[in-house]
Amino acid sequence: MLRGRWLQWGITVFTLAVFLLVIVTGLFGTPAGNHNFGIVYVWLVWWALLKLLLVPLMGRFWCSVCPIPAPGDWLQRRAIITPRPGGKLYTVATKLLRRPGSAGARPWPKLLRNIWVQNLGFLSVALFSALILTSPLATALILLGFILVSLLVSLFFERRAFCRYLCPIGGFVGVYGQMAPVAVRVKDPAVCASHTDKACYVGSDAGYGCPYSNVLQKLETNTTCSMCGECLRTCNKDNIAFYVRMPGADLLDTRGRRLDEAFNGLMMLGAAFIYSVVLIGPDGPLKVTARAVGTPGWFIYAAALLAFNLVAVPGLFWLCVRVGQALTGKPKAVIGQFAARNRKRESLFADYATVLVPLGLAIWVAFTLSFTLTNLSYAWSALSDPFGWGWNLFGTASIAWTPYLSGMIPYLQVPVLLVGLIIAVALGLRTAHQHQQPSVAALPVSAFCALAVVGLLTLYMA
Amino acid sequence: MKRSDLFALLIVLIVLLGLPAGLFGYQALRTQAAGMRVIDITARKPEGGGFIPDHLELRAGQPVRLRISSPDVVHGLTIPGLGVNVDEIYPGKVVEVDLTPDKPGRYAFACTRWCGIDHWRMRGVIEVLGAAGEALPTEPPPLYQRLGIDLDAPTHPAHATPAAQPSAKEGVALNVALPAEVTDATQRRTLAPVDAFQRLRDDPANAGLSDDDVWNLVAWAWLKDVKPNALARAETLFARDCAACHGLDGKGGGPAGVGLPGMRKMDPTMPKGPANFTDAGTMLAASDVLLQGKLLRGGMGTGMPEFGSLYSDEEQWAMIAYLRTFLFRK
Amino acid sequence: MRETSRQGTSRQEPALSLPKGNRAIGTLNAAPAEHRRFSLRKAQWFAGGVTIALVLAALLAPLPVVGAPPQEQRITISAHTFAFEPGTVRVNRGDTVVISLESTDVVHGLYLDGYSISTQAEPGRPGELRFTADRGGAFHFRCAVPCGNLHPFMIGKLIVGPNLTWLRAVAASLIATAGALVVFWRT
Repeated sequence: MLRGRWLQWGITVFTLAVFLLVIVTGLFGTPAGNHNFGIVYVWLVWWALLKLLLVPLMGRFWCSVCPIPAPGDWLQRRAIITPRPGGKLYTVATKLLRRPGSAGARPWPKLLRNIWVQNLGFLSVALFSALILTSPLATALILLGFILVSLLVSLFFERRAFCRYLCPIGGFVGVYGQMAPVAVRVKDPAVCASHTDKACYVGSDAGYGCPYSNVLQKLETNTTCSMCGECLRTCNKDNIAFYVRMPGADLLDTRGRRLDEAFNGLMMLGAAFIYSVVLIGPDGPLKVTARAVGTPGWFIYAAALLAFNLVAVPGLFWLCVRVGQALTGKPKAVIGQFAARNRKRESLFADYATVLVPLGLAIWVAFTLSFTLTNLSYAWSALSDPFGWGWNLFGTASIAWTPYLSGMIPYLQVPVLLVGLIIAVALGLRTAHQHQQPSVAALPVSAFCALAVVGLLTLYMA
Repeated sequence: MKRSDLFALLIVLIVLLGLPAGLFGYQALRTQAAGMRVIDITARKPEGGGFIPDHLELRAGQPVRLRISSPDVVHGLTIPGLGVNVDEIYPGKVVEVDLTPDKPGRYAFACTRWCGIDHWRMRGVIEVLGAAGEALPTEPPPLYQRLGIDLDAPTHPAHATPAAQPSAKEGVALNVALPAEVTDATQRRTLAPVDAFQRLRDDPANAGLSDDDVWNLVAWAWLKDVKPNALARAETLFARDCAACHGLDGKGGGPAGVGLPGMRKMDPTMPKGPANFTDAGTMLAASDVLLQGKLLRGGMGTGMPEFGSLYSDEEQWAMIAYLRTFLFRK
Repeated sequence: MRETSRQGTSRQEPALSLPKGNRAIGTLNAAPAEHRRFSLRKAQWFAGGVTIALVLAALLAPLPVVGAPPQEQRITISAHTFAFEPGTVRVNRGDTVVISLESTDVVHGLYLDGYSISTQAEPGRPGELRFTADRGGAFHFRCAVPCGNLHPFMIGKLIVGPNLTWLRAVAASLIATAGALVVFWRT
């Protein structure tokens, strides 16, 4: 059943229908967010599902049923269910801009083959989040923008370039997905080494090549794998499988880590703190300023947010890594050659940033818990009256707002934060050892992690 | 294209096209199914437009359904002349009110839940035209206009104020026969309580009474004709419409009144802000008809709204009597 | 072929002796490469156990509640769009708390997490909450009546008594950090 296409297609059609409902209610429904299907089902229901269940347990699985790339996929494949012979994909570029020797679709620009655009994308969404989270119209417009960009990109570029390189959600879902206890990996690399068909990448009659442009032989982390199973279907050596494994196994090798992923971790951490201060904190004028996009006050707020996320948090983390290095003299500090070292992935800073994956995920789970359980009851009335037009489709329209488990929230947040903290500190020490550093070198980074958790606890509970 | 793909494509198209069609179609069907004219009213905060639309034209005898919704905060709606009272228009929820106006006329409607600084401006008008489209009847002018009273003329504070709070109960116990100008409602209403006090004080028949006793008589005169349910109604209206500026205690310190000029707009010697109903100097020097005039007309830049279009005659006099209870005990 | 997936410095892994054949789901159970191996020595398990015990003690061990004798506290909270004033309220454990909610602009409400009680107010019509602060810790209170677009984020905090919830959580965090450092210090 997992290899079949109907289940995945079915779920995708369902998410597409919900997506359409979100757009329509956002554009035409009541501006009161609590009773608008768009706001409630995106920022409460889907967000809770994503952060609390899908990402920690199934990595980047959402991407395999996400409605945003679906129409583009169907147009590229010129099919909804049945794979085309040879797994051939069509793009408009194939027809219009065919260049001799090219496969048709434009290759994604080499300079953008990273998640920097996704990092900046998430930061941009974060800048406007006080508005987006509370305005159905803004939510609808931004989602409409995503699907249109995805469609446009899929008409010209190969595969799911939007998902892999542009989607802001994809960035952190991939990075945090490394904590998941499931993965798709090859069974025996020797088999891969010994054959040249590479149907997993190129496609075959049984299916398409990996939509995320992964080469399965080299796939070692969940960051870019949505577990869509396409490779399972096409591999003519039957050498790929779903695996259950130790959570966070992708992080066990802390060497050779990417700087863009490191930055994603830092930025997500910063964003969680900004949201906790602005949205969950008691300062009303700050929230109003954060929402008043375009006003002078908002520009000051935006500058502060950017400075915090791009300078303060990364700077502090860099300092911790540096101090550890200076304290112990290992590994030998290399000044300069930044670009070369980045290309060769010899960045101690990026390697230490593996600690931010469990830490950041735990902090985001805690943050999500602070507002979703409280407001989830809106889902009932929004289901029966999605537009706020007085409908009562399922009889649940008059269910009033009832916070669920309001007294339990701290008791759920604290264990999650502790687990994340322990894993992060362990990972920090492992990073030191794998770089031939004595354990002392990991102390500043451990202090950073402890500071982050204590800081968040203070924001919420003191 | 293979059959399975065709089927899959069909489902996708049904979803993409059918879902919006179904949703909007359902709403259209609901409007149709009402069987009567449906008018959508959006209640926004006044700075966002107030009631939209704020002017309706209906026909006598024709049923109409008002669908009222709010996109921002909690509002209320009252159409006193048509007996409509919606206590809560909750953001994101729709309230449906069916009504059939029978008499032609102009009916004011207003928001009844405090929705911002300019809440009192959140008003509208429903014009009900006769079946034959005849002209609307004109209302008779209120008492203060008939008497030609100048509401804005500077008033002198009362020259005498009671030492203790006058009590109507003790007044009636004195068993004194009062002159017609005090017992007859129409005449009393033109008299300021302090002038009534003076008339009674100057009357030789009352020479044996103390000042406090005379004030008790005044209190009794003002409160004896007021029915308990009228006072209860006035108390509800006061809490709903007046307390936000004048305070539940009547002292003029309500949160919505902060920053309003009040009487100082016209007379710099007057204190700033909403009137203090517990101030004996000003209240006892004002006749009922003067207070009624201010209540009905409001305005003149003081920040006081007009309530003439919202309160019936009985309610107006009940409100004035309620104001008196800030100084007079029942 | 285009270089697409994540790759570190060249790293040859020994062949994974995994089940072949038609099984599509399995468990990654073979010996991974050196840098992907994760195992703990007995001493580490012991230290880990001690850490967990200490963390649980910090979180759950009953502590005598010491504090000022309970009294009645009357607090006026003023609500305006979109904040409560004061934003943080502190009372002692066991106090009888009377919160008077006053609104300065529109209809607002106040719902208290944990105690699950609520009231509402608008200008001229205050609301009141009366309860005994028998549960210690930090509780958020939220606006309970939609009052505009940022309504879901109109939040304040009530701290009851010595803030044991926060103290325990911070203690547990520090113990956990120290414990993790001890357990994983030597690998």
